[in-house]
Amino acid sequence: MAGTHNHHRPHPLPQPDLPRDPQEISQDLLGRFLSPRPGLRGALVGLFVLTVLGGVGLVLRLGTAPLSPEGRAGWAYLAVAWSYILSTAQAVPVFAVAMRLARNHWRRPLSRIAELYGVAGLLNLLILLLLLATLPAGGAFRRTLWQYLLGSPHVWDFLYMLALVLLGLALLYVSALPDLALVRDHGRGVARSLAGSLAGFWRGTPRQWRVLHMALGVLGAFYFIAYVMAHSLLAVDLAMVLVPGWKDAIFPAYQTLTSLQSAVALVAVTAFLYRRWGRMERYIGVEQFWALSKLLLATTLLWFYFWFAGFITFWYGRTPAEQGVIRLFIAGPYFGVFLLAFLFGFLFPFLLLIWNVVRRSVGGPVLASALVLFGNLMERVRTYAGAWSVPNEAIGAHRLEEIPHALAPGLPDVLMAVGALAGALFLVLLASRLVPLISVWEVKEWAMLQRVKVLVRRPVVVIAKPE
Amino acid sequence: MQERIRQTEREINRDLLWPVLRIPWWFWGLVLAAALLVAAGGSAFGLEVNRGPGVYGVNRPTFWGFLIVNFVFWVGISHAGVMLSAILRLSQAEWRRPMVRAAEVLTIFSLATAASFPLMHTGRPWRILYWAFPYDFSRGVYVNVRSPLIWDPSAIFTYLTSSALFVFITLIPDLAVLRDRTTGWPHRIFSVLALGWKGNPRQWRLQALAGILLSALILPVFVSVHSIVSWDFGMAVSVEGWHVTIFAPYFVIGAVHSGVAAVATLMVVMRKLFRWDAYLRDEHFDAIGRLLVVVGTAWFYFFLLEFVFALLGREPQELALRELQVFQWPWNALFVLFLLTAYFIPVPLWLFRRVRRNLTLMFWTSILVNVGMWLERLIIIVPSLMRKQTFTFIWGVYKPSPIEILMVVGSFGLVALGLLMFSKVFPLIPLNEAKEAQVFMDEIRVGKRRVPAVVREE
Repeated sequence: MAGTHNHHRPHPLPQPDLPRDPQEISQDLLGRFLSPRPGLRGALVGLFVLTVLGGVGLVLRLGTAPLSPEGRAGWAYLAVAWSYILSTAQAVPVFAVAMRLARNHWRRPLSRIAELYGVAGLLNLLILLLLLATLPAGGAFRRTLWQYLLGSPHVWDFLYMLALVLLGLALLYVSALPDLALVRDHGRGVARSLAGSLAGFWRGTPRQWRVLHMALGVLGAFYFIAYVMAHSLLAVDLAMVLVPGWKDAIFPAYQTLTSLQSAVALVAVTAFLYRRWGRMERYIGVEQFWALSKLLLATTLLWFYFWFAGFITFWYGRTPAEQGVIRLFIAGPYFGVFLLAFLFGFLFPFLLLIWNVVRRSVGGPVLASALVLFGNLMERVRTYAGAWSVPNEAIGAHRLEEIPHALAPGLPDVLMAVGALAGALFLVLLASRLVPLISVWEVKEWAMLQRVKVLVRRPVVVIAKPE
Repeated sequence: MQERIRQTEREINRDLLWPVLRIPWWFWGLVLAAALLVAAGGSAFGLEVNRGPGVYGVNRPTFWGFLIVNFVFWVGISHAGVMLSAILRLSQAEWRRPMVRAAEVLTIFSLATAASFPLMHTGRPWRILYWAFPYDFSRGVYVNVRSPLIWDPSAIFTYLTSSALFVFITLIPDLAVLRDRTTGWPHRIFSVLALGWKGNPRQWRLQALAGILLSALILPVFVSVHSIVSWDFGMAVSVEGWHVTIFAPYFVIGAVHSGVAAVATLMVVMRKLFRWDAYLRDEHFDAIGRLLVVVGTAWFYFFLLEFVFALLGREPQELALRELQVFQWPWNALFVLFLLTAYFIPVPLWLFRRVRRNLTLMFWTSILVNVGMWLERLIIIVPSLMRKQTFTFIWGVYKPSPIEILMVVGSFGLVALGLLMFSKVFPLIPLNEAKEAQVFMDEIRVGKRRVPAVVREE
């Protein structure tokens, strides 16, 4: 026996000190939900103020740039903010869906955090309405993936985004049903009455649980597909087609991939904040950050791969159209922004995450995640500010004849962008007052499905595989 | 539902070593069949060497045909090894255990087969010597390092070397078992290959560490190989339909799709021939089917991007190419057949658990995928060259010659022969993985039921 078994020494991995009793888990998590931390109200007020300031910025901008194709350059930074919310907050539910599909257990305390970010799509939908007003209409002069469909691209882009937002809300609602029922039965005040109207029918019968799991699978699959297609359509219509000569098949996939990277990063940062200020150490432990760090490392490496695959094809080809695109987005007015995106989106996180000791900590993945979130913002700045700086009369040309100057953000731009991000966060925090931030039923399932046993004189975790 | 069976080490050794220690009744028949295919391919190549590359069907402007399609196809099949072995090892997927070695060995033989095709395609393969080394120092004629055709062999041979190393490292414990169970000259050979393996804790630790390190190091090679093969086409500005940014990930995901499907085919064959029902269980086919759904759908997404973005610019030459691919005979029929076989038949079927657990259906659907993926490479390469030139009077037609067809058929025989010979000498399912699976197998009580469980690897 000794000669034929793999006796490598297991690394001691600190496990979350998860309660075993489902009742204890319910009481603990429900209690924390019903008694929020004092800082939450302050955070909500602060975010609301910033959102209002964003509205002020919007009004200021309306005074200087019309909401029409002629004034598009004035709205570039609102487009940056829209794209950033799409690629971070709206990408996070994809993380929940993918991890549920992969049937791993470490994601359970993080699922609700991920699904809650879907509500940010409501604000993003409104922002998209404003941005669509600045796009030229479809027709022979403007390329669009919708080709000659009536109302393209405005109607279809809006409908597509609406579908994505509704799917995100449906996913959140379905996954929160059992916890809403818990709040209905044991909560108090406004939370209780709201939960009662949302989850009045939930009894927790075996059939309801079966339907819930099936619905989560179906909604999850649809959200995943809808999100991937959203980048493939919206990113193209709001960025690529505005730059003459920019025909880049990898661009939608690249945008999607960088969004998934940012989604993982946002989950890590949010989990860290909730663990720290919500005192959730027993539920959100090193295991979660270790797993997130591996995902972050993989997506960071893919960031570079997708970027390089696109870049080398353009650089090697050196056609005039390709040279124009490279000069606009990389070597020209946005070189500094590109460098920041490259360093913070790829190089620095990569250099951090290759170390095992960094990955197996709480602070390391969170630091890498913060870098990634900043890098993603720079990436959106160079893409959307760059694309939106191209004047209307140049859009229909075969290539970019003249590289426009970089668009520097003014006060209205900063206010709008900050307001948009704050508004998205405000919605998410508000939603967290309706449903617990940690999914109670999923954590209870987690406790049921794992045990600690002794194997060859060492404690190991045994995970049930009922499927 | 899990179908695990408790087995002793003795049973595992007996079951997994019997093809090595005895000769199955079907063995020589299959070897003969594979050898005949190889002989046919080899004869065709011999004829080409005698008469010149004019016997190939390639001609202006379609200078790349079946042989290059086959080259790309086999490089694609080789991606199965790393996908299943390295990625699933790093992600600690328990179900990878019985299929890792077969996947890795398939990688080696398919890569070696793939590498032979560009050589044969040159028509005068010995002249590669002039290409690999400076022809004349005083004339300073060097290879063009700016060409993806130079990056190709570097990537392929790096991948081949690292895969071979990977197979060997994981084979060492099994070589030691064979050493202890053989006599005479086999014993001497296994003794040398086993490198003094004793199975003490330190050796096991190092072996596991080596496996993990190699898995991590081979991943960038895995991605780079088919990306570089794709850039053989992607860097060609003059050929419509080739100069596309999506080619690198599109080719890689397509390679994973065809490679994993090939492993599924191989698993069915192994289970039937070697009677390994206890090792290649329905749950493994279920898992690989689910993986294929994900990979296949990702591949289809990249295909859609490639196709739709080709139409986005509405350039006349690009549209002419797509018109040929989609509307003109015989390419329209091949295009439909490719889509049906690569995605629309197998993937919807794999959504059903009953299908994933049915060996016959898994066998035929996985073969369909590889038929489709072979056609995919054909549709990418040949029509683009047929419409390469601007002037329509130079547009060409490609007709594969019987020589090329025989060489393609021979390549399948070569890979099959390699796998058969390997199975005769080494066990195709790692013994230590099967035994470790037994150790990690467990059950826990959830409510009133006992549910299958697995010890989480650290």
